[in-house]
Amino acid sequence: MPESASGANEAGGPSGARAPTSGTAESRLRRLRVGVGSHVRAFVRTPLNVALLVIFPVVVVEGYGAAMAAFPRFPGLAVESMAEMGRVNGAVYAAAFLAGILGLFQSIGAVQADERLRVCGYDRAELFASRLAAVGLGAALVAAVSTAVLQWRVEPAAPMAAFGALTLAALLYGLVGMLVGAVLPRALEGSLVLVFLVDFDDFLSSGLVDVDSPALKLLPLHYPHDLFRAAVFDGAVATSDALAGTAYLAALFVAALAVYVGVTGQGGVLS
Amino acid sequence: MSRVERDAREATGSGGGHGGSGGPGETGFARRVAAAFAMGLREYARTPVLLALLVFLPAYFVGLLVYLLPESSVPIEAAGAETVVVQSAELYGILLVPLTSALVGGIAGLFLMLNARDADGRLVVAGYRPSQLLLARVGLLAVAAGVAVGVSLVVLSVEVVPERLGWFVAASVLAGLTYGLFGALAGLALSRLAGVYFLLFAPMVDVFFFQNPMVSDAHWLAACLPGRFVTEAAVDAGFSASVSLEPLGWAVAYLVGVGVVTGVAYYRSMRLG
Repeated sequence: MPESASGANEAGGPSGARAPTSGTAESRLRRLRVGVGSHVRAFVRTPLNVALLVIFPVVVVEGYGAAMAAFPRFPGLAVESMAEMGRVNGAVYAAAFLAGILGLFQSIGAVQADERLRVCGYDRAELFASRLAAVGLGAALVAAVSTAVLQWRVEPAAPMAAFGALTLAALLYGLVGMLVGAVLPRALEGSLVLVFLVDFDDFLSSGLVDVDSPALKLLPLHYPHDLFRAAVFDGAVATSDALAGTAYLAALFVAALAVYVGVTGQGGVLS
Repeated sequence: MSRVERDAREATGSGGGHGGSGGPGETGFARRVAAAFAMGLREYARTPVLLALLVFLPAYFVGLLVYLLPESSVPIEAAGAETVVVQSAELYGILLVPLTSALVGGIAGLFLMLNARDADGRLVVAGYRPSQLLLARVGLLAVAAGVAVGVSLVVLSVEVVPERLGWFVAASVLAGLTYGLFGALAGLALSRLAGVYFLLFAPMVDVFFFQNPMVSDAHWLAACLPGRFVTEAAVDAGFSASVSLEPLGWAVAYLVGVGVVTGVAYYRSMRLG
């Protein structure tokens, strides 16, 4: 992605070149700040990107609500209306897929730029952390917008828990996007993978169909969907789902870090 | 001189000057379209990862969803408001084929346009007409949609075989082509990020939710969406022994309409450089 590459180059300019290879905690923090700042500036430089992060959750949440309003009531679903169910699912979908695409494009084209930054003194952990922090900021933004849009039409019983569940969904897919982007650093191919992953995962995890398979628990959106529905409809925090979702996030983080470290040591190619 | 360059030279005429000298009339037109199409196919063939994904992703999507869906009966409307009761795995299996085709077609159309615009500008300077290039691109989209439909159908045949296979394939490929043209339009009008956002969301909501035959009183918006007629035709061909040609006709008309809009936008982008 040009934005990422330019952002990385900006970070790896003169200030990056002067950075010492083994810095103190303060210098590490400064370099991290420079990295995150450059990624965010690169993104904000295209105002359409920022506008989309705000507009798309509105379109997706309301689009899902309108699409599902005419559905017959599914057996076993304890919701006021199918439109409400559609909006709830739309909020999770919006948070996950927007963050996933952000993560994908943050990774694509960035790995080789980050290799040059390594030569300038940045270490892999700092580079990964700065990319991750930029995706995390985007994830928090889409989660906040999705929660706000939902609140407009369907008031969650526990808004903070709902926001937390959406942030978890966004972070999970942000990492999935980064992972896909590192393994398959090509925009068309990476987008295809992500399109099918998100749609498949969201449909099966949404609770619309009564799927009885342990394989569902392996899907990234399984726990966020359960958490989100509990927060919106019951005002409850499903502790076991929260713990399982956090464990899933930690495992994805380790996988994404391992792949990133692998590719930045191999000229941007996974060996 | 590489094969691609040789093909391009043959197709545009020896000199490759403005206006081209490669065979006037219909034969020259068709030859240039064929050459551009062949170059695009070679581009696909040079990307084995893309080919593998075009085969693997539809297979995984259709196969796993149909395998995981519960065994329950649902009433749907098919063949001109006739109500039939089908298994939910059959219903979603039939819906998944045009959906997969739309997803693949849309993303392929977006990136085809984003990647080819500069090269197409040079080909126009060398004598190609934008209409020839656009036809070649549509051909490539049909190939991508056809591959997605073919693979999906092979996997789906374990669970369900559409009643009228030929019409079903035609409707599903039309879904891929229609969304492919929307993808191309998005490639001309939007950035890559915005285009992917749009093409990730639109086919899923359109085909799977707005056009779902379980819905008896659809939202007014459903009638305007690209999946309207292709999904109706696919469901009709999937579950009815007799196929109404009306939705297919409207689907072709919709495709032509989107094609005209995309063609105008493409001409404009070529003129503006």
